[in-house]
Amino acid sequence: MNVHEWALVTFTILAQMSVGAFIVLGVLHWFAVRKAGLEQADRLADHALLAIGPVLVLGMVASTLHLGTPQIAYRAIANLGSSWLSREIFLGTLFAGAGAVFAFMQWRKLASATVRNGVALVAAAIGVALVFSMGRVYLLRTVPIWNTVFTPVMFFVTTFLLGSMAIGAAFVATYQYLQRRNPGNMEVQAALVRGSLRWIAIVSTFLLGIEFVAHPMRALYMGQGAAPASQSAAMLIGPFGVLSVLRLALVFAGAGLLGVFIYQNASSAHGERVMGTLAYVAFVLVLIGEVLGRFLFYATYARVGV
Amino acid sequence: MGKQRAFHVDLSGCIGCKACQIACQDKNKLEAGSTWRRVAEVVGGHWVPLGGQWHTDTFAYYVSMACMHCEKPICCEVCPTHARAKRPDGVVLIDQVKCVGCRYCEWACPYGAPQYDASAGKMTGCNFCEDLLAQGKNPACVDSCVMRVLKFGELEELRAKYGTVNAIAPLPEAKLTNPSVVFTPHRHARLSGEDAGLDVTVDKRGAK
Repeated sequence: MNVHEWALVTFTILAQMSVGAFIVLGVLHWFAVRKAGLEQADRLADHALLAIGPVLVLGMVASTLHLGTPQIAYRAIANLGSSWLSREIFLGTLFAGAGAVFAFMQWRKLASATVRNGVALVAAAIGVALVFSMGRVYLLRTVPIWNTVFTPVMFFVTTFLLGSMAIGAAFVATYQYLQRRNPGNMEVQAALVRGSLRWIAIVSTFLLGIEFVAHPMRALYMGQGAAPASQSAAMLIGPFGVLSVLRLALVFAGAGLLGVFIYQNASSAHGERVMGTLAYVAFVLVLIGEVLGRFLFYATYARVGV
Repeated sequence: MGKQRAFHVDLSGCIGCKACQIACQDKNKLEAGSTWRRVAEVVGGHWVPLGGQWHTDTFAYYVSMACMHCEKPICCEVCPTHARAKRPDGVVLIDQVKCVGCRYCEWACPYGAPQYDASAGKMTGCNFCEDLLAQGKNPACVDSCVMRVLKFGELEELRAKYGTVNAIAPLPEAKLTNPSVVFTPHRHARLSGEDAGLDVTVDKRGAK
């Protein structure tokens, strides 16, 4: 594993987290508007929205580090006709642009809420297309471990799992910040954060289930194939066996156990501080678990032929 | 079909001396470990019972390979910059101005042909010694072959003369990229996909 792959681990994780966070934030904001009105919903969501941009930009900067000649990185969108890598970079740039336009409009409250929703929907659709194209990059007919439906499935699970965990942590941070600046009169915000965390807990537990089924299935499916598929599977359970288990255990600890905790705590008005800490810890655990998972994705590469 | 330049290797006469590999590295001034042409050493065989005695059926053969200048080049499909392109004469080249060094072609190519030049930050690979061809000379590897088993020419002519074998183990099955190559198999050679039990060594001469 060299810088080449670490740059790609960083890029794919951050870009997918940005897309997931953007969509989860949009959905939770939509619910919050219905529950507490536009002003309170914006108060909850605007800080988190402004944090997504830098994360995405950081990821895209990291992606250029895997290039041998980063100064001509712009050339990489030249082959939209047949290269999914070109399409990935094009859609990434487009998502960054659409997201930035929406974030600016939302920040300055430009146009009506309906128009802003429309812009957000377009950006979200581009985000989904981006994650799809990221998956397609790895569907190479010469690399069996990547060339399965599990690749896009895992990318989308990462997208929404990390996205929702990140938004959970961001909501708690926003809440604590608002509380410090304006103590008291926080009942509405507290209720919104609790409600959001409950949904995040439910969704992430569901995604965790998919991950727990998909990973063993992928290893089994690959193990039954001829070389080099079986070679990749052997790496996954051999030299990288401990990491594979650790990776799932971390995501389980983050999304699963803490999800249950958050769900229980969020149902009651008490345990606000515990709930906040749990949201942070869950995010960090899932993030480490997903980074490990993506490292393994690249590390178990094995190609047909020589 | 248009013109398609191709190599022919008579593997029945290849002794695995790797003169082609070294001549290529020398002529193209490649860094140690960068091999536009490589020679894979393939060994296999077992103890077999024969008339109450145990004999061995061990064997070895060599596969000299460079860029296959495929008819369906996966490198050109995946290259994000159009740096990789197939010329009218069928040769697949890497435009050193356009290449960003993303190494996606290196991931995709089932022949391990694209070589990364770390100091330039670009991919490199066999260009069929286009400079020598322009002078009416042969590619360096062809002229260096001491057994005179490495040839080049038009794919259709080579096929008419030497047959259509283009997938010898440990190379991948031809349908993936349609390699522009013709092999005359060694008598022990296995076809692609039948490489169970084979031990393959690809010498990355000078690799660190």
